[in-house]
Amino acid sequence: MRSIRVPAATALAMTLVLALAACGSSSSGSGNSGSGASAVSTGGFQSPTTQALTGGKRGGTLVVLNESDFESLDPGVAYYNVDYEVVFATQRPLYSQEPNSVEPSPDMASGAPEVSSDEKTVTVHLREGVHFSPPVNREVTSEDVAYAIERGANENVANPYFQSYFGSVEGAEKASGGPIKGIETPNKHTIVLHLSEPKAQLVAHALVLPLTAAVPREYAQRFDKNKPSDYANYQVATGPYMLENDAAGKVLGTGYIPGKSATLVRNPNWSPKTDFRPAYLNEIDIKLGGTKAVIGRQVLEGTNVVENELPAQSIVKLAAERYKSQLEISPGAGTHYIAVNNKVGPFSNVDVRKALWAALDRTAMNKARGGALVADVMTHFLYPTIPGFNQAGGLAGLKVDYNEHPEGDAAVAEKYMKLAGYPSGKYTGGHTLVVVGDRGNPLEQDAEIVNQTLKSLGFTTKFTLVEPNVMYGKYCGVPKEEIDVCPSVAWGADFPDPQTVLDNTFNGKSIVSTGNNNWGQTNDPKINAAMTAAETINDQAAREAAWAKIDDELVQDAAAIPFDWDKQANIEGSAVRGVGDLWDSGEWDYNYSSLK
Amino acid sequence: MTAYIVRRVLWGIALLVIVCALTFVLFRVFPTANPAQLRAGRSPQPKVIHEIERVLGLNKSLSTQFFDYVKNVFLHFNLGYSYYSDESVRSLISERLPATISLTLGAGVLWIVGGLGVGILSALRRHSLLDRLAMGGALVLVSAPEFWLGLIALFLFAQDIGQWRIFPGAGSYVGITSDPWQWFTSMIMPWFVLASGSAAVFARLMRGSLIETMGEDYIRTARAKGLAERRVVRHGVRSAINPIVTLFGLEIGTLLGGTVLIETVFNIPGVGRLAYDSITTADFSVIQGTVLLAAMFIIVANIVVDIAYAYLDPRVRYS
Amino acid sequence: MTQALGGSDVVLRVEDLRVEFPSEDGVVHAVDGITYEVHSGRTLGIVGESGSGKTVSSLTTLGLTRRQGARVSGRILFEGQDLLTLPEERLRAIRGNEIAMIFQDPLSSLHPLYRVGAQLVEAVCAHRDVSRAKAREHAIELLDLVGIPDPARRVDAYPHEFSGGMRQRAMIAMALANEPKLLIADEPTTALDVTVQAQILALMERLQRELGMAIVFITHDLGVVAEMADEIAVMYAGRIVETASAARVFAAPEHPYTWGLLKSIPRLDAPREQELVPIPGAPPSLIRPPSGCHFHPRCPYAQPDHARVDPALASSLEGEPAADEPGHLVACLLHADVRRRLWRQLAAGDTPEQALVAVGPFQESA
Repeated sequence: MRSIRVPAATALAMTLVLALAACGSSSSGSGNSGSGASAVSTGGFQSPTTQALTGGKRGGTLVVLNESDFESLDPGVAYYNVDYEVVFATQRPLYSQEPNSVEPSPDMASGAPEVSSDEKTVTVHLREGVHFSPPVNREVTSEDVAYAIERGANENVANPYFQSYFGSVEGAEKASGGPIKGIETPNKHTIVLHLSEPKAQLVAHALVLPLTAAVPREYAQRFDKNKPSDYANYQVATGPYMLENDAAGKVLGTGYIPGKSATLVRNPNWSPKTDFRPAYLNEIDIKLGGTKAVIGRQVLEGTNVVENELPAQSIVKLAAERYKSQLEISPGAGTHYIAVNNKVGPFSNVDVRKALWAALDRTAMNKARGGALVADVMTHFLYPTIPGFNQAGGLAGLKVDYNEHPEGDAAVAEKYMKLAGYPSGKYTGGHTLVVVGDRGNPLEQDAEIVNQTLKSLGFTTKFTLVEPNVMYGKYCGVPKEEIDVCPSVAWGADFPDPQTVLDNTFNGKSIVSTGNNNWGQTNDPKINAAMTAAETINDQAAREAAWAKIDDELVQDAAAIPFDWDKQANIEGSAVRGVGDLWDSGEWDYNYSSLK
Repeated sequence: MTAYIVRRVLWGIALLVIVCALTFVLFRVFPTANPAQLRAGRSPQPKVIHEIERVLGLNKSLSTQFFDYVKNVFLHFNLGYSYYSDESVRSLISERLPATISLTLGAGVLWIVGGLGVGILSALRRHSLLDRLAMGGALVLVSAPEFWLGLIALFLFAQDIGQWRIFPGAGSYVGITSDPWQWFTSMIMPWFVLASGSAAVFARLMRGSLIETMGEDYIRTARAKGLAERRVVRHGVRSAINPIVTLFGLEIGTLLGGTVLIETVFNIPGVGRLAYDSITTADFSVIQGTVLLAAMFIIVANIVVDIAYAYLDPRVRYS
Repeated sequence: MTQALGGSDVVLRVEDLRVEFPSEDGVVHAVDGITYEVHSGRTLGIVGESGSGKTVSSLTTLGLTRRQGARVSGRILFEGQDLLTLPEERLRAIRGNEIAMIFQDPLSSLHPLYRVGAQLVEAVCAHRDVSRAKAREHAIELLDLVGIPDPARRVDAYPHEFSGGMRQRAMIAMALANEPKLLIADEPTTALDVTVQAQILALMERLQRELGMAIVFITHDLGVVAEMADEIAVMYAGRIVETASAARVFAAPEHPYTWGLLKSIPRLDAPREQELVPIPGAPPSLIRPPSGCHFHPRCPYAQPDHARVDPALASSLEGEPAADEPGHLVACLLHADVRRRLWRQLAAGDTPEQALVAVGPFQESA
């Protein structure tokens, strides 16, 4: 049921727009030249790139059925896409995206960010006339945005990506919740970020993250003093909707009842004149709990109801057969691949890795997940909707012999095993592989296929399936455990930029002792250096090319063995005109959805 | 008798402390997941994890954490706060408890009446068609997994997704004070599904127990006295029911600690689901709170059952 | 033989009663054709080993064997009605009312979870239309009648709070609640110690005098029955082998089984060296009883013929019995004369072998 949620391939890509905006112009080509979003088949079902954003009917209440509860609704903490359905309907970060695009639009900002020529300053001008919801009510100022970012360093809030994306702001390293030297607010509607390194593009990209959604200091401070902060239970909104609260501002117990429900009502202080969102719905009632098998049916047979998470596989099948108009498929929901230990054990030999890549029947694994409807066979590490995808080979990927046959090629596998020093074509060493997979469905079927493939290469395996929390937290994410094969790891970008797909997962510098996401412990000095260089490339085209090249090198190094590019399926009731967010696995966007 | 009760209660409290310690050991000394890490999301820097641990009090020594916790619980009735929602565990539990109590007690009534009724009839008409059907049916119900039965019930009778749209579907539970009729109708299917397994067990038990008691000498005396057969059966049931009552009390006590599967299928916001969710998110305080609650119910049920038994069977009374 | 005895009427007459039970191993012939009478104000003692059918015949009288699938033939006459043909409802009205029964183990025969008083009240209210309060008063009187001290308090006690003797008294009280004409007592003193036993027997005698009821006293203990019974019927393997007045049974028994019973009783006045003479062997199976005389496998005096011929109960007196004397019936194929001579030897102290030798070879009865 519940698994470590891959933080949404969310947020936003500041790709073309920002790069070009730095030069003063903006471009809004449909889709992204390098991202391949349109190349992926969505089976003829509706998808975020094909749905209409305007013309919806005003009014009505949407009921949302979600099996999983939220991780955190605090805009300064929220990091999983299960939280984003609420956060992005109630909070306005500096930049955000329209549903059918990965290009950001100014949200709280009034225009594109201004980046200095030395790449060390980012200036953003704010819209005027945006107000907080009751009980704060007053106009949002740059101070509020500054506080929102600063509180990320407060240990009571402990924003997970603060250091990654804002660590280069002057004073950020030592910050602990108080004012940060590098954040300047020259006037009520301007905010300037001074960086200690020339990483302006990265920071500018990161302004789509919810950490930048304004938080009123005088109201929130007393909550941020608590250990941990309970601002989430008293939060105010800047978006079209707000969590229902009482007169004192308390959300807990009304707008949010943990494990039971969340209720979004219209923010009376929101003005459509300051926003590009249509906000058709009057109210959104989110009901938590239950079981996906039942929820799926309730949605498909219902009217004004949706499910806003990945449905059960059986339900997706049912929808594809009998409720075609109520199914939406969205590409670019992330990847699944097999991490193998690059550092110790048989897989530290690149030829053994290539042998496994060749031997694996990726089409079978794809079928086990539900086939083309929900996944494409993965051939390299950047995925559709991520800029650089096409440059890295698109759907077909790099042409190397071990990548050519997704259904598996025993001859090629044998060739590489021989190259690795096993003349029989099968492993003859004494080491028993430790394989730890995810016991959820369908991951466990995929893990089984991997296990069988390993055996066919002559390995003996100790094969265990555990809960995803445990798999990541105790085994695969802990280098010391020396797990040989992790067949069920998954990844999705923080926002559509190739760095967020490859850096954390394949950079040797990213290896940490716990919570490690470079599961294979890939540590090739050449690749590490290339990544460091590519981090600071600010020209969009050059950036895409550089990261695509790194993707190629990872393929040539067989750093990990890919198997699937996820597409997410989402379902709606018959009276819902749902609009899904391309940047959020196609999950329904309350700002744009309406009832028929 | 009072001394006995007092002794049992004191021992019960001691047991609760032991349960506290055991849960603590299970979930902290052998952790399956670090809540600080979960909360920190992925790719957290160690610094962030440490910060969260410090904020949540997870960095103190285990014994300090334990003593702090025990002190809070037993002296201040403070069960701590959820790591995720920041709501106090006590209010989380008290919010969820009415649903579980409704579910358990309603099902309890059903299965006692149904189970005993069927059991008595079966015992009196041993080997008849009724008996065979009843015991066969009981076997099926006992073997059927609760979860599956619940799904079948929904797919057959739920107003939103069923074949015959009779009862409210999953997620329609409301508290009895907000809408008594909806509360009642939304609980009918869960009651039946939850009661089915137990009713079957009780029917078989009652049948066996009654068959045995009806062969006792005092039944012969009752007949020899010229009592109507219904009274004679009453004599038998009166004796046969004692072990059943004990079992009933214990089962209710166990179920009050949470009926996860039913609560999940029908989406009833009870403590069972709370317990399960807290385990998957490693929300320690909530886990501990729900475990303590469950332990308390079982301990209380045990004491009540012992007292009830002494009341029901004068031969075992403590002087 | 339905004559009144010394002015007392026949209360119960059992005629050629046969009771069979189907079982997994075959048909159990529990009662194989017995006939006896009980007179009001008098006690009939039915004596026999376990498995002789003595209890079954009494249970059948009250219809308590119907549930077990018993197949019954014969007649049981009570106040002009054949109880075997009565419908259940009518029989129920008689049970605990006109015919009452008490059982061997009062601890298991009283319901452990109901108060004694409540059980008595129940017995009363089942047959009489009285208020519970009046019934309770009556219950207290009954407890007093049977000699239980402090009856007003004891009436609310539970059976396990009574001693063994008091429990049996309470059972008797319950049986007498509706002043029955006939009391059937199935081994009522077997579970009690000897001194208590004597008290209960005395109680029963007193009550019989006061209430004028008939008693059927079932036991395996000849010593007990010597005290209580006016007439004695000896049962073996489902049949009555001898019936006579108590005095005659002890003074001049005429059946080898009865002799064996008498010789098995230890006596304080017998010489020390005199050995007890047990009856060899074990009681027979009632599914496949021995052919001919059921006792012949264990009878020291059996003749080859006895395995083929069924002895009938026949009078061993010459002529009719006296007016207030019950007759003396014996079911034995030996000649009456032979029997008397054997008994003379046995009474003098001979063992069966010695007696046989002393009497010498003999002829079959005519």
